[in-house]
Amino acid sequence: MLKKIILSALVTLSMYAAEVNVYSHRHYPSDAELFKRFTAQTGIKINLIKASSDELISRLEKEGKNSPADVLITVDAARLHIAKEKGLLTPLKSKVLEANVPAHLRDKQGYWYALTKRARVLVYNKETMSPAKLSTYEALATPAFKGKVLVQSSNNVYNQSLLAGLIVHEGEAKASAWARGVVANMARKPSGKDVDQIRAVAAGMGDVAIINTYYLGQLLASDRPSDQAVGEMVAVYFPNQKTTGTHINVSGAGITASSKNRAEAQKFIEFLSSPEAQSVFAEVNYEYPVNPKVKPSKLLSSWGKFKEDKIELYKLGENNVKAVKIFNESGWN
Amino acid sequence: MELIVNAYINRWTIQTYVWVLTLLLPALVVIGYALGAEGETLRHLKETVLTHTVLNTLYLIAGTATVASILGIGSAYLTTFYTFRFEKTIALLLAMPFVIPAYIIGFVYGDLFGFFGPVHLMLRDWGVKGYFDVLNFYSVVLILGFALYPYVYLIVKASFSKSRSSLLYPALNLGAGKFRLFWKLILPLSRPAIAGALTLVIMECISEYGTVKYYGVDTLSTAIFTAWFGLEDPQSAAYIASIATALVLFVLLAEKFARSGATYKSEKLLSKIPKEPLKGFFALGAYLFMAVPIMFGFLIPLAWILYYGVEYLSNVMSEEFLGVMLNTFIVSGSSAALIVAGALLIGYTARNFPYGINRYLSKAASLGYALPGAVIAVGIVILTTSYDNFVGVNIFSGTMAVLIFGYVARFSAVAINTVEGSFERLGLSVNKASRSLGQSHIQTLWRIEVPLMKRSLIFAYALVFVDTIKELPLTLILRPFNYETLATKTYEMAESQMVYESSIYALSIIFISIIPITLTIMKTEH
Repeated sequence: MLKKIILSALVTLSMYAAEVNVYSHRHYPSDAELFKRFTAQTGIKINLIKASSDELISRLEKEGKNSPADVLITVDAARLHIAKEKGLLTPLKSKVLEANVPAHLRDKQGYWYALTKRARVLVYNKETMSPAKLSTYEALATPAFKGKVLVQSSNNVYNQSLLAGLIVHEGEAKASAWARGVVANMARKPSGKDVDQIRAVAAGMGDVAIINTYYLGQLLASDRPSDQAVGEMVAVYFPNQKTTGTHINVSGAGITASSKNRAEAQKFIEFLSSPEAQSVFAEVNYEYPVNPKVKPSKLLSSWGKFKEDKIELYKLGENNVKAVKIFNESGWN
Repeated sequence: MELIVNAYINRWTIQTYVWVLTLLLPALVVIGYALGAEGETLRHLKETVLTHTVLNTLYLIAGTATVASILGIGSAYLTTFYTFRFEKTIALLLAMPFVIPAYIIGFVYGDLFGFFGPVHLMLRDWGVKGYFDVLNFYSVVLILGFALYPYVYLIVKASFSKSRSSLLYPALNLGAGKFRLFWKLILPLSRPAIAGALTLVIMECISEYGTVKYYGVDTLSTAIFTAWFGLEDPQSAAYIASIATALVLFVLLAEKFARSGATYKSEKLLSKIPKEPLKGFFALGAYLFMAVPIMFGFLIPLAWILYYGVEYLSNVMSEEFLGVMLNTFIVSGSSAALIVAGALLIGYTARNFPYGINRYLSKAASLGYALPGAVIAVGIVILTTSYDNFVGVNIFSGTMAVLIFGYVARFSAVAINTVEGSFERLGLSVNKASRSLGQSHIQTLWRIEVPLMKRSLIFAYALVFVDTIKELPLTLILRPFNYETLATKTYEMAESQMVYESSIYALSIIFISIIPITLTIMKTEH
């Protein structure tokens, strides 16, 4: 009898032990599905707190070595780099991850690994804009686009990373001139989210918007006829194909420095990079998989292949503050 | 001298000081960071965004306060001094926008008037070419005006009801016209109530984050985030937070000033003047006037949410939904109880020992209301984690206690405002009589005064309960693992494009909030 009790206590304890505490900025339906599958396959429970990366990083920083978190998931590379710089992550060596995640999409020392890619592209109104007039991000700052450009606020981390990329390629002076040029060309003061920029382009308020690819995917897949119609009225253009390549960003994960469940956390991140998980990211949320063995969704494939900006992603993090300052100076609210 | 020392140092005041300090700590910790923030980043902010974010905040306050005053005072006046058909229903409906979080109202209108929302589609069907864009400053003023005027309406209406007193009757007999009466007598008499209500509106404007961000208006609240996270400089962020705090202090002192000249004695001689029926064109105008805020602040958003929510009604029976509901009730219910208890403590001290700093306790305790929820949250994270790190064990971090602390630090102002007014009306005579009969302070408060203030206390509890149910940014940051409330669930689903599924959670917020608000209004109507 006693043996039974001890045994069942041990089983319960070990069940409790098998868990991973996750801080995540991702708030997509694909993730809930993946966490469920992971638990079903491994018996490891996922405990989750969702908030913005900035707030989560701030919480991790304050919690210090007592933090309960094992894994930090962000939606951009800059925040991963910032977390690493603040000493909040711990390096992870994994054959599985090295095979699943291409070298330029992970930290050199293994502090973080990308899980999905998103391209920051242009969408244009098929009626009012000819793709022949489009070329680069840089061109959007020229007088030809006066009153035509739609883009959201500079609070947005994807805009910050885009400008950080430009700083790396062209230097601060040119990046600053670009930001001022775009502000002068804006169809309206930045407001709304990426989806709202697509709608504004479809309505004809401007001719071209800067957005992340999956937002268009979500519109086209919506139950709502008006959303689908919006999706049909615009088309994707991959800028900078003849120059630096289209800006990409990643959503990624790292194990926290305070993690007490490293083995489980590693399993979890490895699972997220597996072909099975990668295809869920691709099909449910229209993100580009990082695992070369997995193809993008049909929709994304239909937009064609494109040349990616191969910039080392940590540089986006390094230049994030500079980018925000340039935005502030240029009046891009 | 001895009297004054006694007034400062007794069990009662010391407990109050400890409580007020606890409420203030999160804000103080953040602002403490601001000291010595004369860095390069701050210079950058001053040169670039600071001026226009301060101006935007001031414009937003001015615009919203104007809209909220017109709607709130106007409808309080009509429903107090006139009789008309459906009077009770309309009086109740006028309070209802309070139950819908401003970020949901903002989202609904963004969708409704969006380029491919129902309004544009209809216009296009009628052959109208072109479009209009609602994502701008003026929309935010209207949205916040519609979302916040119920504060003015409820508080001012309560004060109007008390003004129907001995003063008004002779004035009417002497032939003063009703409008003259309104301007010359009723409005000045209600000055403290109006000031109190507007203070709440203004603090909400300063701390508002979701709507201003979506509509592209940069205020102090968004600048705090730019500085903290974009520029990675918590010091500068704290500096901006302290500008917001200074603004609030100014407003609070102005309110104190507005209240000081007022006669706020208990109106024992309440002789009811007969309500007048609404007639003719004035009636038509009055109905239209009251219909506008009810439609835009409540019925239209509710209809939108219902329309999409019905489809997902079956989700209500899921285990997940029930769990979310339970979480919400536990955390909001206990926070509201703590907040009201604390407000009683502060109100009692402020009234019974009105010396020196004691007069400013309630103002100090209200500060948390004006700072963005996320700022308070970070202050609390700093406090609780440094304690945990100091003792080396996780006692607070990631527990529900931290979340409740957050709500208490943030929403105490709402209860204090109501409870303080109630203490003022009650006066000191009852209290003195009771204590001269040998009852202690606590016995007097608990046995005599709390029953007398029951209505105000229930009202305060309901307001705070609803406020905590709606709260979002603080909840997101401070919540424990796997912990969802109705607000976090609504937000998360709306964020991930599952807008229609989210409506069932939004609907629950609305229905849960309607119950306490309706009950309290029906009680105060008596």
